[in-house]
Amino acid sequence: MELRCERDVLVEALATAGRATASRGGSLPVLGGVRAQLEGDRLFLTGTDLDLTIADAVTVKGLEDGVAVLPGRLTVDIVRALEPGAVHLTATADEARIAAGRSQFSVRLLPADDFPRLADAATEEVTLDAAGLAEALRQVVRAASHDDARPILTGVLMAAEGDGLRLVATDSYRLALRDLRGASVLSEGQAVLVPSKALGELARLLSGADTVTLRLGQRDATFEVGDTRLTTRLIEGEFPNYRQLISGTQANQLTIGRDPLLDALRRVRLLARESTPVRLSLRADGVELSAVTQDVGQAQEDLDAKYEGAELVIAFNPEYLADGIEALAGDEVSFEIIDALKRVVLRSPESEDYLYLLMPVRVS
Amino acid sequence: MAASILHVDMDSFYASVEMLEDPSLRGKPVIVGGEGARGVVASCSYEARAFGVHSAMPSVRARRLCPQAVFVHGRYDRYADYSRQFHEIFRSFTPLVEGISLDEAFLDVGGAQRLFGTGAEIAHRIRERVADELGLPCAVGVATTKFVAKLASKAAKPTPSRAGPVPGPGVLVVEPGKELEFLHPLPVGALWGVGPATQKRLARFGIVTVADLAALPIETLQGALGKASGRHLHDLAWGRDERAVVPVSKPKSIGHEETYARDLHDHEALGREAVRLADGVTTRLRKAALQGRTVSIKVRFHDFHTITRSSTLPAATDVAVVIAGAARDLLSHIDPGPGVRLFGITMSNLEDARARQLTLDDPTPEAAGQPPGWDSASKAIDEIRERFGDGAVGPAALVRADGLHLKRQGDTQWGPRQDRGV
Repeated sequence: MELRCERDVLVEALATAGRATASRGGSLPVLGGVRAQLEGDRLFLTGTDLDLTIADAVTVKGLEDGVAVLPGRLTVDIVRALEPGAVHLTATADEARIAAGRSQFSVRLLPADDFPRLADAATEEVTLDAAGLAEALRQVVRAASHDDARPILTGVLMAAEGDGLRLVATDSYRLALRDLRGASVLSEGQAVLVPSKALGELARLLSGADTVTLRLGQRDATFEVGDTRLTTRLIEGEFPNYRQLISGTQANQLTIGRDPLLDALRRVRLLARESTPVRLSLRADGVELSAVTQDVGQAQEDLDAKYEGAELVIAFNPEYLADGIEALAGDEVSFEIIDALKRVVLRSPESEDYLYLLMPVRVS
Repeated sequence: MAASILHVDMDSFYASVEMLEDPSLRGKPVIVGGEGARGVVASCSYEARAFGVHSAMPSVRARRLCPQAVFVHGRYDRYADYSRQFHEIFRSFTPLVEGISLDEAFLDVGGAQRLFGTGAEIAHRIRERVADELGLPCAVGVATTKFVAKLASKAAKPTPSRAGPVPGPGVLVVEPGKELEFLHPLPVGALWGVGPATQKRLARFGIVTVADLAALPIETLQGALGKASGRHLHDLAWGRDERAVVPVSKPKSIGHEETYARDLHDHEALGREAVRLADGVTTRLRKAALQGRTVSIKVRFHDFHTITRSSTLPAATDVAVVIAGAARDLLSHIDPGPGVRLFGITMSNLEDARARQLTLDDPTPEAAGQPPGWDSASKAIDEIRERFGDGAVGPAALVRADGLHLKRQGDTQWGPRQDRGV
């Protein structure tokens, strides 16, 4: 394999594919590599950790077709460090030479035969608006769990809902739900569970794109954004039944300015260390935010708000609360509160498409 | 910068407490620790040190060195009680008190000098108050950094001799700017992080004193010891130590372990021990208003081969039956056939029980594997013990002819009391 390519083009493609490589060698060292395949003037780069695969394609000056698995991390670092301009890449059976200007590198290749054969993507495809999906991911992925002990909660549910697509994630402390109306991607009743880590990577790819194409297979989902293709394994299992949680209840209602609340929260949080919650004292004429950390100090701030309901004090993990408020669009946030120990629903009065459920912290 | 970091270290703390409470022990070689075949010395009087006895030494060896020594089994509760009292004294001078162990603490009196005088003056006042109010001796090191203060308190201590301990200065102040003068003549082994292995490696470079170490280029040191520890030792050798005095740190884990006088060979005995240790661990968890999610067990076999296993529960708990059950599950994958000499249970992943994040899927205690009613039962147990003593109530599995065989903090941490089965 031999090719010439602009440094910046090559760095970007290598780095994109490299984001899916296994961070530690693990049992299969080849997973730390990026597979490069040259066909004419098209260079296809693929990285995978078996769960997540990212493939990118770029146009280069092809000199000789071939396949090689480059050490992912190292190659990206080398190419990025080169002088700007043309990079000359040659791969023989067990070694790659990277040259630019007066710099010369040779690196050992990983065995190309060991690189896993990746399944073809399903043929049936649907196209979605990239900006809309990116916004939905931003709002939902944050609520997914990072705890591998509960794999199902590390996924985001993508389900057919009416004429649209619904995204739901929960780490059991909060739940985020977003409806993308009119985006009929799945057939009636169909639902898949996509790892949130893959969707986090997808969100990066979506910035600046117009559309994204989705292909759903039995065990995996493939997203195509321009020349980049991301394939992720689906999580098997039953997502918790969230519908009972979002059904309407008679509740106390708080309406408050989004930005003033976020700003106040940011300040009061300084005194909510470790597991200390932030308390909201709700009165008809407003809200008081406060936090007390023993042996450290306390903070409080009054905010104007509209509150209809019984006076009460409710406490939250400040991070989870801020996550929910940030995810909401619009100038105002509404809280539906049952009591100090039950789930609270946050939404924007301007939009029905998103809601964020949050469990309080019980303080004694 | 004034010398405002104090390191207070009690002189042979446990032995001093024993001699204070039993005057017949005074002036004798006293060893506090496990007297059984597997016991170790936890603390010893200066009279015993004159014979070469030191803490962490196997009791068997200590007895050989000093056959006339009086062995006393430790009473953790008493020591903890005294410890609380002198920490109270420390805190009356500054809120910045960092307890290192029962008998050692760092104090930052930088903000207290207008009220109480210089670091040296405060050191003397602390030493007098601890002696007057509690009757216990201590040494205080005063310096600009924690690590020099610690070395200074060591230098302020009495020296053991066969004719009786030779009193030290009690308070040693290393004035700002004089750190290197104090530090450089010391042997490298005095530095934190220099154990016998490192000392050996350094000896190969001809390094014996801290001054030798300081003279070595940092690159050479890093080449020999690795980047991080090379840099660390280089800093220490030049008297640099940036660490602040940090008051009260929250525990990261709470656990109990026990070395048995006779090895355990079957799951039944280990299961009973799991109940016993879980009772001890949960009592401490509840007292600290904490709950744990990760249960770890530690098993040391007859040949000292040691393994740990852990599992994470669906929800944090402070209930003994849940933890004992999880420990038994972990034990079921282990063959105790070769003989178990030590067994321990530790809870980590601790959460504040007073501010508890609720969950949407509401894992009721039942769903988390907890039989109903245990929350209030545990509370009732705590209240009964509070009023009538720890032995008033406990798991039926722990009943023996002589009463409840409970596990409590520090009761056998230096080895089994006597050869008695469990």
